[in-house]
Amino acid sequence: MTDAEISSILRKTLAEFVADWGLDVPVEADTSLVEDLEFDSIDVIQFVVAIENAFQSRNLGFQSLLMQDGRYVDDLSVGQIEAFLAKRLTA
Amino acid sequence: MTRTLLIGLDGATFTVLDPLMDGTCAEGVVMPYLASLRARGYSAKLKSTAHPLTPPAWTTVCTGRTPGNHGIYDFVRFEDLGDEMFFTLYDFRDVQVETIWQIASRQGKSVVSLNFPMMAPPPAINGSLVPGFVSWKHLRRNMYPATLFDRIKAFDGFDPKELSWDFERESQIGDVMPDEELYKWVENHLPRDKQWSNMGKRLLQEDKPDLFALMMDGTDKIQHQAWHVLDPRLWTGAADEAAQAVRKLVLQYYRNVDGYIRDLHAAAPDAHLIIVSDHGFAGSEKVVRINQYLADLGHLTWRQSDGSEQARRRDLANFANLDWTKTRAFCPTPSSNGIVIRMKSDKNPGGVRPEDYERYRDRLIEELLDMRDPETGRRVIARVEKREDAFPGTAMGQAPDLTVFLVDHGFVSVRNREPAVVTRPTPLGTHHPDGIFIMVGPGVQARRGETMSIVDTTTIAAHTTGLEIPASFEGRIPADLFEPGWLEANPPRIGAAQASQGHKPSADGAHPEDDVPEDQRQEMLAQLRLLGYIED
Repeated sequence: MTDAEISSILRKTLAEFVADWGLDVPVEADTSLVEDLEFDSIDVIQFVVAIENAFQSRNLGFQSLLMQDGRYVDDLSVGQIEAFLAKRLTA
Repeated sequence: MTRTLLIGLDGATFTVLDPLMDGTCAEGVVMPYLASLRARGYSAKLKSTAHPLTPPAWTTVCTGRTPGNHGIYDFVRFEDLGDEMFFTLYDFRDVQVETIWQIASRQGKSVVSLNFPMMAPPPAINGSLVPGFVSWKHLRRNMYPATLFDRIKAFDGFDPKELSWDFERESQIGDVMPDEELYKWVENHLPRDKQWSNMGKRLLQEDKPDLFALMMDGTDKIQHQAWHVLDPRLWTGAADEAAQAVRKLVLQYYRNVDGYIRDLHAAAPDAHLIIVSDHGFAGSEKVVRINQYLADLGHLTWRQSDGSEQARRRDLANFANLDWTKTRAFCPTPSSNGIVIRMKSDKNPGGVRPEDYERYRDRLIEELLDMRDPETGRRVIARVEKREDAFPGTAMGQAPDLTVFLVDHGFVSVRNREPAVVTRPTPLGTHHPDGIFIMVGPGVQARRGETMSIVDTTTIAAHTTGLEIPASFEGRIPADLFEPGWLEANPPRIGAAQASQGHKPSADGAHPEDDVPEDQRQEMLAQLRLLGYIED
């Protein structure tokens, strides 16, 4: 799977994910989940499930994306998730 | 043509429904249609799953299998990582056997399934499926087929926010509320089942599925919080204005439900109508802090708080917050009523050695049975069951080692508070094993039957839908349910066992995630911390 294909699937998944939230925010590389898209903890759990379904794998282990330098990130951008998935899916 | 209407009423109990049906309460007959169904149909108490909890019990209705075989035990599942505990949520991918929706689809029948928990992410079926316990923000992508949301959105009056699970509102269950506050809380629940009913009626009329199933869960939510105005033994009518107002509003809810059932039945009058609950209800008078008791006995050690706001929030969460390096037995969540024994490992050197397991477990049972109410000196735990007794089956390894059954049928508390047993200021509604079964339709006898099992529901629904009943189904059709002539003309057909699905636990019950490398385990814990489930 190419980086472009991964990006396309992820952005489509995210666009569908927030489709009914009444947000007027374009999904771009620098779009952040919490600050721009108003995610809460249940939304993060659901988004993990949505990504696992979209890429047909329950064990992507993308939790590592949430921890950097031993600390937990406060937010994530679409670009960070794309880069993470590209690394995991092409490893 | 619709052959089976399966209507679920979460937590419905004859304790509450009898006076509303027979009119022996001060308000007279509140549920005339349900009363007429019971009078001309078959009814019985319906024994729930070993631990009468919504996720395992409705999954049993959906699969025809007991929790030891379908693998759902709670809202939350956990993985013991030795020096940490990984808590996450059960979902459809954890259901290890086919649902009746899938079985019916495979056999060429059409299905509509609405509001059943553990059905997200949804399976592909020949029909429509909207899972329950999903926030409005996630409804669209958790419906099957993917186009269903847009179709439903066009229905008159459809409001996804009214229809869906409100996590903030539901998390208040168990809180003590003044009646003025409770009135507003109940009021906010009323539109939900109206939304489900409207959607169900429309899909039933337009699609005419062979099997139509709808679960309404307001009964459970309202009974939890408003038990003091519903239990005939507690409600005498001599109450203040605020309590009277709550009672009036709650009865309006039951009146509404009676109308929803009538309208759904009118849309498929020739079908078999089966009304079931996942469990019954009773009043809980005691708070039983089971982990506090286990701490007093030296089986577990609380995690030390650093006094931060984060630590305070974690202590208030409904997940055990313990020092996992010093814990041998604990209860993970209040809904589970389960006790988990932790085995010795490199990361948990203080755990129980395999050769000591049986002796340790037997001693724990004795100690649990000796837990007493300091006010009365009486035992608070009626019985303790080993997992092989409570949850036998291929998925037994994921069940708690022990399940405790409180004298008042209540759920335990896992919080770090003393004393271990206290009396509630007002009895709180809690789950009781005895639910309800009411059925009418072609060939159904008008009688009161003996107590049935919740697994019988799925077997009966499969038969009335014209399915080959999978040999793996654990239920039975009561001998006196149908007229002999009807049963002779419509004999049950037994087919192949239902297919397994989902990930398979290993012999010790571990999930495939248990096989991930240590760095990934730590990352998984990190995610849970981020989400607020685990805090340092």
